[in-house]
Amino acid sequence: MRLSVKFLLLLAFCVSIQVGLIAAAHQQLADSEEARIKMVKAVEIFGLSDLCIATDARYIRHLAVSDRLAPFMDHPGSIEHFPTGSFWIPER
Amino acid sequence: MAARYLDRQLNIADYALGGLTRRLGKNLVVVLVFALVIFMVASFSMTTTSLKHAASQLLTTVPDITVQKMSAGRQVGFSTEAIKELEFIFGIRSVQPRVWGYYFDENNGANYTVIGVTELGDKTQLAGLGIDFLPNLKTDAAFEPAVIGRGVRENLGLGNRRAFSLFRPDLSLKSFVTSATFDAETSMVTDDLIIMDLKAARDLFGLQADEITDLLVDVANPLEIDNIADNIGERLKGVRVVTRERIGKTYRVAFGWRSGFGLACLFGAVAAFFIFAWDKASGLTPAQQQEIAILKVLGWQTEDIITLRFWESVIISISAFGLGYLAAWIHLLFFNGLLFRPVLLGWSVVKPPLSLVPVFSFADLLIIFSLSVLPYLAATVIPAWHSATIRPDSVI
Repeated sequence: MRLSVKFLLLLAFCVSIQVGLIAAAHQQLADSEEARIKMVKAVEIFGLSDLCIATDARYIRHLAVSDRLAPFMDHPGSIEHFPTGSFWIPER
Repeated sequence: MAARYLDRQLNIADYALGGLTRRLGKNLVVVLVFALVIFMVASFSMTTTSLKHAASQLLTTVPDITVQKMSAGRQVGFSTEAIKELEFIFGIRSVQPRVWGYYFDENNGANYTVIGVTELGDKTQLAGLGIDFLPNLKTDAAFEPAVIGRGVRENLGLGNRRAFSLFRPDLSLKSFVTSATFDAETSMVTDDLIIMDLKAARDLFGLQADEITDLLVDVANPLEIDNIADNIGERLKGVRVVTRERIGKTYRVAFGWRSGFGLACLFGAVAAFFIFAWDKASGLTPAQQQEIAILKVLGWQTEDIITLRFWESVIISISAFGLGYLAAWIHLLFFNGLLFRPVLLGWSVVKPPLSLVPVFSFADLLIIFSLSVLPYLAATVIPAWHSATIRPDSVI
């Protein structure tokens, strides 16, 4: 078999694995549908505004209802020092 | 004609693959390093897409309008008298007062989110929330019922116990009894929550008898939300009005390449690209020059040599892209973003069991492809032309 055909077959194998991974992710999302409905209800009943991803910095825990300046408000001359903050961008 | 063209391309690709296999060690290292860069960029991109997707799926029922009082640039409490001011605004269906705040647990450094609501005793309203109600416990009247999240229960070290105490600002203790706990599967919104009665929350935080921190406004017609928000802003002086649309927008733009971590990933990708470009442009080894000279003596044209170099670059970049992208999917799907979790969670003491499910997005795929494969191909054009114009008699 020609080398180029072998390479194309290898690529096809990788693509099929990728398709399998995408299908597995879809299945995981479908399996978590019940939990999603519960969370949506909790958001509605308690008026929650944010996802609970990190709980260290208050302005990351409740990003949607924080000021852009909140990271610098802890004390005069304060700088943003929470590692979590490096993942997020404040809303403009 | 097309078959002949295809056959010619396959022949050159065969030769390119043969050449790459002859220098297997060096090329393998190039592919692996390139794949690692693509893995980092793809993992970051997929993590942010996954978080955006979770936000768009879960935050669909956030309050239409959240009203908070601001004073001296900071959020402060205000009186329930403000509700009366809203009674005259047409289109408001309901207004819910709420106390919302943070409790810092000095024992372990954890931050809990405390929410005081009016309808905690109504079990029918709480049905379907994923709350496990515990049997009623006969306790002193001073013990206030509270619904707590998985992380709170774990960090308070309750075990099988249900009673716990928190400090008021004057350091006296306020006691609670766990009336129910949130399901662990709802942790993405409830992990650090302590939900209690409005009065109990006021007592815990030392607030006035009619003091609240937020008003949650439910609007009858969603198209009127902005108008009603403006109206509320005019009637209540010094308030911040946050609409559902604004919360959605915050989460749509909250993750991206402009964040520090995103820039770090991008910087790595750009640096690696420059190293590759430099490597390619820095010339050919004498052995490679000789190979080209021999090919030319055998009748290969300049165009054929450029095509050969193009195929070599395509094979290397496509292999690295496939490997890196696949590894990023495995990283997120099976290892739950293991490498990024320490950054995402930071110094959190209450660590929600974050479930990052990758979501396939063609836009993401295209961005990663454009950031990796295309620059590599572009960087190899001029070196390919240089190598193709070697005069055989100057080398052999």
